[in-house]
Amino acid sequence: MTFLQQLPIVFGALNVGFLQTLKLFGITLVGALPLGLIIAFGSMSRFRPLSIVTRFFVWIIRGTPLMIQLLIIFYFPSMALGQPIWGSGENGRFAASAAAFIINYACYFSEIYRGGIQSIPVGQLEAGQVLGMTRGQIFVRIMLLQVIKRIVPPVSNEIITLVKDTALARIIALQEIIWAGTAFLKGSQGISGQVWPLFFTALYYLVFSGALTLLFGWVEKRLDYFRG
Amino acid sequence: MILLEVNNLQKSFDGSAVLKNISFSMEPGQVLAIIGSSGSGKTTLLRCLNFLETPDAGEIIVKGQKLLGGASEEQIRKNRLHFGLVFQNFNLFPQYTALENITLAPSLLGLGSKQELRDNAMRLLEQVGLRQKADFYPYQLSGGQQQRIAIARALALRPEVLCFDEPTSALDPELTGEVLRVIRGLKNKDNTMIVVTHEMEFARSVADVVIYMADGVIEEMGTPEEVFEHPRSEKTKAFLRGAASVL
Ligand SMILES: Nc1ncnc2c1ncn2[C@@H]1O[C@H](COP(=O)(O)OP(=O)(O)OP(=O)(O)O)[C@@H](O)[C@H]1O
Ligand SMILES: [Mg+2]
Repeated sequence: MTFLQQLPIVFGALNVGFLQTLKLFGITLVGALPLGLIIAFGSMSRFRPLSIVTRFFVWIIRGTPLMIQLLIIFYFPSMALGQPIWGSGENGRFAASAAAFIINYACYFSEIYRGGIQSIPVGQLEAGQVLGMTRGQIFVRIMLLQVIKRIVPPVSNEIITLVKDTALARIIALQEIIWAGTAFLKGSQGISGQVWPLFFTALYYLVFSGALTLLFGWVEKRLDYFRG
Repeated sequence: MILLEVNNLQKSFDGSAVLKNISFSMEPGQVLAIIGSSGSGKTTLLRCLNFLETPDAGEIIVKGQKLLGGASEEQIRKNRLHFGLVFQNFNLFPQYTALENITLAPSLLGLGSKQELRDNAMRLLEQVGLRQKADFYPYQLSGGQQQRIAIARALALRPEVLCFDEPTSALDPELTGEVLRVIRGLKNKDNTMIVVTHEMEFARSVADVVIYMADGVIEEMGTPEEVFEHPRSEKTKAFLRGAASVL
């Protein structure tokens, strides 16, 4: 097969793989961004047992490799219960990957949120209190936008890292783009021993994170109208 | 008529008493100036009146209604509305314009239609001399201007007693005048105010009553003339000598 004949086959396979990458990326954000806020509130709780347990959990998750967490989440339930909980095939692997990524990223986001919330001067909160606002109003109307402005850069950073971290799901054979690229090394659809498709996957990541960088730049600009 | 009555207010932090049996009362339209050296408990007193701190004991009575006791969050929120507080470092909300800073709380409390609240805010901006800055964000304003906006923001809720905690001490000397002028103007409109200040000349000229606080007690209380010209306590005399030598 000539290179030109290989090209459409490789493109097709990488596109399918990248779609899976994007799905994992998307579902991780949808799950981890809000879950991170709940964890942040837990770790800041004035109810000591809750904050201790939450911080302990965050320490475990941030202190161990995501790759190990993927393996544990995928294999441990079936070892402990004697039967798999994730379902079979690609869907099961996707569900397990999503669970691992959401938990892992939620912990990282929670620390960013906590830092952001705690960096708002207490005077802002007190100004809201003396103006008769409720705790909810103070959070939503006063804190939130200031917190968002402060956390956009670190959150963007995590999200760009997530784009590339999705490749770790390959450890439980999720068929994302790196998996698709590797297939042409081992042999697939009449192509084997070819390493260039794997190298080529880098371009997908690059373009996608480039687009995200532009998006985050735009968001930062939108929040430029105030200081503080 | 008595508007505000404070009886035997006590507050301690970690076992050390910061307010010891503070009692005083105010009539409507009066201006009370509180002076005293650093750490004497002036800020703590204002924070107790605004329910940012919970006193350990004592009573706060506004128009005959006792405010302590009911410690539910809802109740505390209601209590706070009797008082306003202007902070040393303004604490304007940076993401809102001057106008929005003023209308935010009244609109959350449903005190009027959007248009009414806006009109009222514009009137307040006029009063503090910043009508033309309505659409400016805090970072675009000088410290003195920010403090005047903060005063307008507190006035928008029509508190019965407006408290100021050293409203000019975070400002460059050349900006204190504009803020003090605004406070003086409020006195002429019969606002009841408590002003914690290190500006002795201002306290002397604007206050109806002056309190000198030392170590959590009211060491001296009286008219400006009584406190500044004929202090009875040795501590007050020493403090005033110190203040005079700084100036
Ligand atoms: N939250 C707190 N926890 C512990 N101690 C406190 C707290 N707030 C105030 N204090 C202590 O209470 C005392 C009185 O403080 P306060 O701020 O009321 O003084 P002040 O008269 O306003 O002084 P200044 O003129 O410096 O503003 C100080 O000794 C201070 O250290
Ligand atoms: Mg103080």
